Amino acid sequence: MLALLLALALGIALGLLTNISIPAALLTYLGVAVLAAIDACLGGVKAALEQTFDDKAFVSGFITNTLMAAFIVFVGDRIGVRELYLAAVVAFGVRVFDNLGTVRSLLFHRWGWE
Amino acid sequence: MANNLNRPALIVVIGVLGFLVAISFNTTKQLTTAHPERASDLASVVRDLENQRTELQERLADLRGDMDVLEAEAAEDAGISDSYSRELDQARQAAGLSGVTGPGVEILLGDGGDVAVDGDPNDYLIHDTDITAVVNALVAAGAEAVEINGERVVATTPIRCAGTTVLVNSARLGSPYVIRAVGDPGELEAAVADDPIASLLFTSYKAQYGLQAEVTEAEDIVIEPYKGTFRPQYLLSGQGGQG
Repeated sequence: MLALLLALALGIALGLLTNISIPAALLTYLGVAVLAAIDACLGGVKAALEQTFDDKAFVSGFITNTLMAAFIVFVGDRIGVRELYLAAVVAFGVRVFDNLGTVRSLLFHRWGWE
Repeated sequence: MANNLNRPALIVVIGVLGFLVAISFNTTKQLTTAHPERASDLASVVRDLENQRTELQERLADLRGDMDVLEAEAAEDAGISDSYSRELDQARQAAGLSGVTGPGVEILLGDGGDVAVDGDPNDYLIHDTDITAVVNALVAAGAEAVEINGERVVATTPIRCAGTTVLVNSARLGSPYVIRAVGDPGELEAAVADDPIASLLFTSYKAQYGLQAEVTEAEDIVIEPYKGTFRPQYLLSGQGGQG
């Protein structure tokens, strides 16, 4: 648990300190990819808590989710339906909250708060 | 506790997630801080420079007046012949440095009325190209001096679009535009009416889009002198003619 939070903080600190930024036009791509990454990570935490965590499934899921999310934005841009990225935002948003709920109840269960 | 959460893959991927979040944060921060301020900064810079330009133009006019007086005195002192100072006057007139008056035409061009529901707003505006067409027609018909809203058209005058305004010399002009030209009034009016582009303004565009477009002949057109400067950077005196 602690290691996960430390890794998150380290990643954020590294990003902020290097002050890397991307062209404004690509911001939507990165935003949707970040959302997909959050979803994959919560899914991973959930799987770990449920004792079903699998390295390969998790890493491949993370990579494909992130790339697919960016790809949907790209397709939307190309076919003139720029709002297509909303589909990805809604889909991943719903899943993030879904996973969050499950993770929370699993943690409560584990810490014996129930 | 939570030993089964500490999977290396999970830890690494969450680190990557944090990094991505930080990158989007950096980018968003740049976007929100850079843009609005810069635009208003630039607007105030433009205003300051325009005020400065007006002051400098006034000083330039004063100095040119002083110079005229000094030149006249010098010509008297040195006994330089009349023909020389007459030549100087002519050159100055040709360059647009002196105010002139004479018969000619006054042309009013103004933006049109309300845009039709399915209309293109651009059709209802006077553009730099319209003004250029009229000025070209006038000069081609032998106009000896032309000004647009008090901006004298000289050899180096640009007429171009600058947002919602038209830039002539270094001044930004807005509708309505009053173009004055000295020359044979009948010929100038006919030239504008015959020009394939300029004539549209006074016929079909005027009827269709409600543009203001009027040509008035007058016997006493007054045209301002050029208020800007000539500061050639690349120009060298040529060898031909009088060199």
